[in-house]
Amino acid sequence: MTTAALPRGITITALTKRYGDTQALAGLDLAVLPGQILGIAGPNGAGKSTLVRILSGEATPDTGVITIDGRRWTARDGIDRVAVVHQEPQLFPNLTVADNLLVGREGSRLGWPHSRPADDEILQQVGLAGVRDHTVGSLPLAMQQRVEIARALVQRADVFLFDEPNSALTEHESAELFAQMRALADAGRCVMLVSHRLGELAAYAQRVVIIIDGRAQTELSGEEISEERIARELVVGRSGATETLRPGAVGGGEVILELTKWTERGGAFRDLDLRIHAGEVLAIVGVEGSGGRELVRSVAGFERADGQMMLAESGSSRSGDRVVYLTGDRSESLFDNLSVGENLYLRVVKRLTTRLGYLRRGQAETGAAQAKDEFLVKAASLSLPIRSLSGGNQQKVAIAAALTVAPHLFAVEEPTRGVDLGSKAEIYRLLREFCSRGSSVLMYCTEDSEVFDVADRVCVMADGRIADVLSVSDYGDAESLAEAIAGLAGSDLIPAAP
Amino acid sequence: MTASATSSPSASSASPGGGARLPLREFGRTAGLVLTIVLVMALFAIVSDGKFLQPDNLLGMLRYMSTLAIVGLGLTVVLVVGEIDLSFGAVYGFSGMITAVAWISWGWNVGIAIGFAFLCAIVVGIFNGFFTTVTKIPSFIATLGSSILVFGFTLLVSGSGTYTPRQPGPGRTMNEQQVDWFYGLSNQNLPLGLPMGAIWMLGVALIFWYLLSKSLFGFRLKAIGGNPIAANFAHLPVRRYKLWAFVICAVAACLAGVLVFSFISTVQPDSGANLLFPTFAAVVIGGASLSGGRGTVIGTLLGCLLLAILNNGLALIAAGAFLQQIFIGAVTIGAVVLDQATQRWRRDA
Repeated sequence: MTTAALPRGITITALTKRYGDTQALAGLDLAVLPGQILGIAGPNGAGKSTLVRILSGEATPDTGVITIDGRRWTARDGIDRVAVVHQEPQLFPNLTVADNLLVGREGSRLGWPHSRPADDEILQQVGLAGVRDHTVGSLPLAMQQRVEIARALVQRADVFLFDEPNSALTEHESAELFAQMRALADAGRCVMLVSHRLGELAAYAQRVVIIIDGRAQTELSGEEISEERIARELVVGRSGATETLRPGAVGGGEVILELTKWTERGGAFRDLDLRIHAGEVLAIVGVEGSGGRELVRSVAGFERADGQMMLAESGSSRSGDRVVYLTGDRSESLFDNLSVGENLYLRVVKRLTTRLGYLRRGQAETGAAQAKDEFLVKAASLSLPIRSLSGGNQQKVAIAAALTVAPHLFAVEEPTRGVDLGSKAEIYRLLREFCSRGSSVLMYCTEDSEVFDVADRVCVMADGRIADVLSVSDYGDAESLAEAIAGLAGSDLIPAAP
Repeated sequence: MTASATSSPSASSASPGGGARLPLREFGRTAGLVLTIVLVMALFAIVSDGKFLQPDNLLGMLRYMSTLAIVGLGLTVVLVVGEIDLSFGAVYGFSGMITAVAWISWGWNVGIAIGFAFLCAIVVGIFNGFFTTVTKIPSFIATLGSSILVFGFTLLVSGSGTYTPRQPGPGRTMNEQQVDWFYGLSNQNLPLGLPMGAIWMLGVALIFWYLLSKSLFGFRLKAIGGNPIAANFAHLPVRRYKLWAFVICAVAACLAGVLVFSFISTVQPDSGANLLFPTFAAVVIGGASLSGGRGTVIGTLLGCLLLAILNNGLALIAAGAFLQQIFIGAVTIGAVVLDQATQRWRRDA
């Protein structure tokens, strides 16, 4: 859409990158123009972070061409010209703000380096002059991010990547951050904003590119950009849509879990009332910081919350086994030093132990072999190291290990994060099967299409409260559901555009 | 599905097709260590003109190994659960000393004195475990602190003196029966002149083998050491197991301390100082990882054997204490580097 004489900015053509058996980028085309904020949206695992890592010089692409201001890009450009502002600032918390700006450009080999007048000007510019001599670790997160911006400015960076920068900021802090972003763009720099918060993309970006499965699927600009439109494109663009697995309306079954005035101690969510019935999959959606993730954890006892939690009784299970929890991050759910089989039976070994503490490995292996077949884990042997399996199969092992406990409630975060499409469909089927035996699933989702494919109801969280609970069967297609969710999840989080 | 996991062992084969990779890797490591030991022994045998293979020499070596192994197995348990213990040397020194002081100076029955030593060791283990798991001090610091603390107590109770039951000092007489019984703990006429220490080592090794390889405890210990965060999410008793690991390590060190006192019939306050680094070297050579989740009884035993061989062989060829240190340091680093290199090679292959 721009046909300037000089090819300014960054042009990316047919970029590919493969990690093991995951194709993170599969021919990505993208143009970043100076003077505007480019929004990047896409589901988890779509390749957004890989793109960020390549542009910042942390990773090298397999194939493809990147040019900057008309000439070939090198990894050196990534280091010299690109600044990444992370959700977790990567700074030196033990040094002062001024010293943080000096690291890497001390300029003297002897003695403690001295700050330069130009640095103070930049601190003034980003509003940090008042805390110049404070240690970075003592500052609030929002200010730390500004230190990151200042650090990039003194290094004369002219490409700024904001990677989910405000997931832990307050509304007011976010607004200030966006004002900074705007100022950077107005000064003729390239600004990219990667975000799950569609409302913010709609409010601040001049162009929005939707990345799905490692490709730029859609580009929206100007009037086309709206929160609902982005949500719809995110769902439309997903490949190989599976047919829905919901058995139809499930209602009025036994109540498995009931929360009353459920309030997290740290304030992530407040006064929630929620019920989960036997046999249903209840999805929790909401941007990071909405309290959705914390809600799922709190039900399993891994976030402290007050209020009332009623859990269905059962003769067979001990209370510890009634709720089983699985994180979205496989590095926190699998044991690298154990085999596939050991990972599968880890949660049930206590039942296979004699009174003298002898572990009946034979029986455990038999059970693991059955679980492996039942959960469609593709592994040549149970004694292979767990990390030798593909991501999808690792995730199936993690889910199988949790479900062999036979809990009443399976509390899970992002059950298909970083998983290939085939495995995704299989995991959805396994979750439905689990529910068909009278148990329930409470899952935190970041993808609307996942909600449509597997959930019965969806609880939309915004700002620590339940915005609404929708019945998925009221929506004929994933797109209309996504629009409805987007309308609920983002609205009161977005500060007015400047 | 729970039902299938727990109560129907008849269905489906336990080991469906494919190679047994993890056990195979373990076997490869053990075989490599055995091969190294054989080569080093052959080398010493040649260089020392056969002196190395004299029965007396081999038996002496076995005795040193048994002390190292009893302490090393305790350390292995702590390393498997992903922690570190620097206090076992001090506990080893304290145990011999408190037994001697309580028995000789305070006039307690020797059995009660030994029991008291074990009680003290358990207290140190709980102390280490408490500060590591409850107040969440890194175990490196917690056990460094307790090590100095315990050594201080050793000096305090002993008045920095040396104790020998046969010479209890002026004005004291010892119960001969008790003295004989105590010496008998590690001085018996065994066939082939085998040292009693070897029998103790064998017993301890069997217990630890059951504990680490056959029991629920060992399995969970390994899981916790491999990924403490995941272990917590899976409702494994992370703190309790770590506490147990520290207690087990302290008790093993205590046993070794009492046995060595019994064998050499005299005890000095600083006897534990020379044990710390050789034990770490032996256990690491044996394949235990300082980052947790790895470590076996057979590995630790072989590591202790290799270290005993080096210790003995280098002394035999009159290499001198300095060269001995240099050599053992180099072997320790070499073993770990080699282990990591073969792992990487296996991954790439």
